[in-house]
Amino acid sequence: MTQTIFWIIQILLIPVLSPFFIGATRRIKARLQNRAGASSFQPYRDIWKLLHKDEVISEDASWLFRAAPYLIFATTLVIGASIPLMSTALVNSYTGDFLVVVYLLALGTFLLALAGIDTGGAFGGFGSSREMLVAALTEGGLVLSLLTVALISGTTNLMAIPQSIGSVPFSESLPVILAFIGFSIAMLAETCRYPFDNPSTHLELTMIHEAMILEYSGKRLALIEWSSANKYLIFITLGANLFFPRGMADSLELAPVALALAVFLIKVGILCVAVALLESSIAKLRIFRLPDLLFTSFVISAVAVGLVG
Amino acid sequence: MSYLNETTMLALATVIFAAAGLLHFTQKYSSSIRLYMLQSCAISVLLIASAFDRLTPLLVVAITATITVKVLIAPYFFFGLIKRHELKFSVSAYLNTPVTLVAIAALLLLTRSDLFSSLAGLAAVDEKLLRLAFATILISLFLSINRRGALSQVLGILSLENGIVAFALFAGLEESPGFQLGITFNILILVVIATVFASMIFRKFGSLDVSTMKKLKD
Amino acid sequence: MDYFTSPSVFYAILAVFAAGATGALAFRHHDRAANILGNSLAAAGSLAGLLFSGAVLLEGDVPAFGAGSSFSLLSITFRLDQLSAFFMMVICLIALLCSIYALGYVRHYYGRYSVGMLGFFYNLFIASMILVATSHNLLFFLIAWEVMSLASYFLVIYERRESASIRAGSLYFIMTHAGTAFIVFAFLLMYQATGSLDFEAVAQGMAGASPLVRNAIFISALVGFGVKAGIIPLHIWLPSAHPAAPSHVSALMSGVMIKTGIYMLVRISLEILPGPFLWWGLVLLVIGGASSLLGVLYALSEHDLKRLLAYHSIENIGIILLGLGGAIVFSSAGMNSLAALSLAAALFHTLNHATFKALLFLGAGSVIAATHTRNIEKYGGLIKLMPQTALFFLIGSMAISALPPLNGFFSEWLTFQALFQGVISLDVTTKTVFILAVGALAFTSGLAAACFVKAFGITFLARPRSEAVSRASETGIFPRLAMAGLSIAIICLGLFSGAVVRLLSGVGGSLANIGGAEAADAAGFESVSVQNGFASISMPAVFIGIGLAAIAITAVVFLLTRRRQTVIGRTWDCGADLTPRMEITATGFSRSIITVCRRVLRPSSETEIEYHDANRYFPKIGEVTMGLHDVYRTYIYRPLQDLLTLLAGYTTKVQSGNINAYILYIFITLIALLFLLDLTT
Repeated sequence: MTQTIFWIIQILLIPVLSPFFIGATRRIKARLQNRAGASSFQPYRDIWKLLHKDEVISEDASWLFRAAPYLIFATTLVIGASIPLMSTALVNSYTGDFLVVVYLLALGTFLLALAGIDTGGAFGGFGSSREMLVAALTEGGLVLSLLTVALISGTTNLMAIPQSIGSVPFSESLPVILAFIGFSIAMLAETCRYPFDNPSTHLELTMIHEAMILEYSGKRLALIEWSSANKYLIFITLGANLFFPRGMADSLELAPVALALAVFLIKVGILCVAVALLESSIAKLRIFRLPDLLFTSFVISAVAVGLVG
Repeated sequence: MSYLNETTMLALATVIFAAAGLLHFTQKYSSSIRLYMLQSCAISVLLIASAFDRLTPLLVVAITATITVKVLIAPYFFFGLIKRHELKFSVSAYLNTPVTLVAIAALLLLTRSDLFSSLAGLAAVDEKLLRLAFATILISLFLSINRRGALSQVLGILSLENGIVAFALFAGLEESPGFQLGITFNILILVVIATVFASMIFRKFGSLDVSTMKKLKD
Repeated sequence: MDYFTSPSVFYAILAVFAAGATGALAFRHHDRAANILGNSLAAAGSLAGLLFSGAVLLEGDVPAFGAGSSFSLLSITFRLDQLSAFFMMVICLIALLCSIYALGYVRHYYGRYSVGMLGFFYNLFIASMILVATSHNLLFFLIAWEVMSLASYFLVIYERRESASIRAGSLYFIMTHAGTAFIVFAFLLMYQATGSLDFEAVAQGMAGASPLVRNAIFISALVGFGVKAGIIPLHIWLPSAHPAAPSHVSALMSGVMIKTGIYMLVRISLEILPGPFLWWGLVLLVIGGASSLLGVLYALSEHDLKRLLAYHSIENIGIILLGLGGAIVFSSAGMNSLAALSLAAALFHTLNHATFKALLFLGAGSVIAATHTRNIEKYGGLIKLMPQTALFFLIGSMAISALPPLNGFFSEWLTFQALFQGVISLDVTTKTVFILAVGALAFTSGLAAACFVKAFGITFLARPRSEAVSRASETGIFPRLAMAGLSIAIICLGLFSGAVVRLLSGVGGSLANIGGAEAADAAGFESVSVQNGFASISMPAVFIGIGLAAIAITAVVFLLTRRRQTVIGRTWDCGADLTPRMEITATGFSRSIITVCRRVLRPSSETEIEYHDANRYFPKIGEVTMGLHDVYRTYIYRPLQDLLTLLAGYTTKVQSGNINAYILYIFITLIALLFLLDLTT
């Protein structure tokens, strides 16, 4: 019974919390820009508002356009059930492999890119083109950085990795640190943050993710926004719990898990502040300078893998 | 071969060899053809002698056919060819006479040398005969190489044929009648084809001299 | 069940193909009869072959039969061990569905080209591929190989009035025979080392061969079979030959014929040559990684749908070679269970690639037949005009981009796991190669996804970009049936990957150098776990997970928004008219990736402008041609060709045209032989 409750929490935690952390990041950035900023709960209100609007769908769009948001959201839910959140006692050997997670993310990107082309507008097409450029080159760094921690812990199951990483002494943690650097570059790319993409831009010239979803409205836009928030939180969670797993519970009792959740929220908060600080201090890079950054991520992760064992 | 004694065989082999050698130095086509007739006669005598103790109808037919073709029909074809196209004997050879003699002497030396000893082991009869036959072969081949006229080359090949028959006879290979028939058939076809080709070439190019045809190979 | 695997069934299968071939030829003046006869008999033969090989695989027995012949070296023997049966099954499965497709597709050739000849060569082609996969004698294998190459050559030049087809055919002919020369050399070395031409006898005799001989055999086999498989840099015939053939033949060539090269590479390196060397596996890993990356990069720049798919075949062969290379490395280090895992990954990817590549080619064939153009820049909006074809093409695209829960994802997962094991357990230098292979594989799958977003998106989505395309219509029932069959196969292979892996463990384990090791445990809810739980996955769980989540979220959103309306409007057009020029073009889509990789790809751009005036201030028409420099032709093949022409020029001097000279050659040879005879006695 407790297993079921914890699984329900595991599955629902990401979708429920993700808008908050997006809002929190935006708020911190606003504060850094000397603005008051919207409340951290504003994204919830935005989703609610969008769900209550009518929708306009282009006459050129096909069933793919209509079905894509649901499928993308579904992939984020499945990923959410496969990542380590609060306790290492939960075991998911069915979908917990890190390659499954990486490729489910790729599935989401694929469907979104297709949806961008589907309406035949001038912006969706090039948004998809840029998105596929970045996504294709990110895979290497992402896979290798996750491989590093998988090799250290002797399993590729994401939920079982934190247990072993926690016990790596500081003197041997160079691979973990290097992998974290590679992972964070990949994370910034996949979640469309600076320096890859500006999540709050209104200029089509600078859009990658926004360009693809330009034609969406109403409930489908709500789902897409929510999915990207989910993706953001998933990556932050992976960064927090895979590379700095201290504080995770190792059993399924109430008290340790509650403590673990609290620690989790704190860790995610810290990482959100870090992302916000990073975004506020660097500029977005020109698109043809992005591959250099992504190859750097690949090389750092490859070195990390080479250093293991 | 029991009907012939050593000396007769040696004489016949010498005739064959001499005919092949003299073919190098003829000045007229008709003399070449006559030399070839002589050579064929010698071969026929050898064939008859070798088959005398084993006469079967097939063998008789084969030998008769061989003799007819080599001594009668082939020369007839050639004489007809000469008359029809009024062939004149043109520039003769690549190497002039002294050098040709030297070449023939070299080939003779080759056959007398130790190189040949392994082949000579085949001899059913005297080794000298085998060497003569082989020398005939080499010299006939040299004739084909040296002469420019197409008819001379054909005669060279035919003389080569005779030389091979002689070699086979002396080496004791004449057991099978198929051997005779094969050769006869071979010659017949060769002659027919040669005639046809020569007529065609002459009709097209106006001469049977090979060197004038060289330019047209492209 | 026993009856199924008897030799008479096998001969009956060959007889069915023979009947199909002769029947099509006999009816060559009646197009429709030839089409139906040829293709339905091919389908029947393939179905029978599928059942036959399936029975052999499931039962585990090894039918071996055949007879000698009047030549002492040639014996027409067949032996279906697990590996042969597996490849025969792949061949028959794809041939079955392509034949069904052809029943509808060949209609486009009525009255234009000879349908009877098509049926004849098609049946001959499939039968020869089956013979290649099951023959047990090296000479018989060569005969079957040659028949296969010739049959496919005639199929490539089938549309003989197109000069491009003839050129493609000539290049294919030359390349495949160059490859065959290397194969013959390898076989001759084997004969010299063992004195026999039967696979089994050769395998036993090779144990005593020197390393030099073994290396030589491996290298020549790699080059020879690599030409057929299409590894870089021996691939130049593939992108022109596969598109030139009719679509169902392209599907067969790309999906199955290139795998026969892989079949023999597996057999030679893991069975016939005992004790593979480490560097063989490393070479294969490097070639595989390079082929996969370069293949997908070249595919990105293509605007002919079929050429794009042909380059993707090169990419997937690279991935298969990664698996095979890993297997050889593990086998040379004695780690048999890992070798079995790696080989299972390679074989699974062979099967998967056959299915989705065939599906994609069939889809492309339907699109080209409906729109009468191969240029991707003219397509668009076909998802509304050809909905089922679009759906099947989408499934194929998702499979080839290795997206879960389809089969492509699982075989790439398995390959990744094999490579991970290599990173864990090997020494430093080998480990580096494996890490680079992992990187190559990761990049490849990302770039493949990018390429198929482009291919599917530009072809099927948005609005038509030309008049002809806006009048396209859906294909007939048979092509759709065939594509549906392949899609179902893809989904089933994805769902039941556990069972397939178990089967493939048996196939791999049956090879001598792997010796019966288990690749992976498949237990529980169809989940597959590798190496004592280092990695585990359950494909049905992924599938069900996505399905349930999608249903759940749809239900929730529906409940929340059931009073909302959906209005159909126009795409945002910035106030101007919506023209096809506003949509993204294929060139534009992929040019950014090509620019990023410009050192490798060497893009070229030529501009031609026609001016109104002499001073060149007012352009009238401008034309930009963007392409890639053909590196292989410039640096490898053209120098080779020039060298050969030079050598040939020297040897023409021998052919002087003078009869006397020729007889002189004979004379010299005679004298030389005399000398030789004297020297040897």
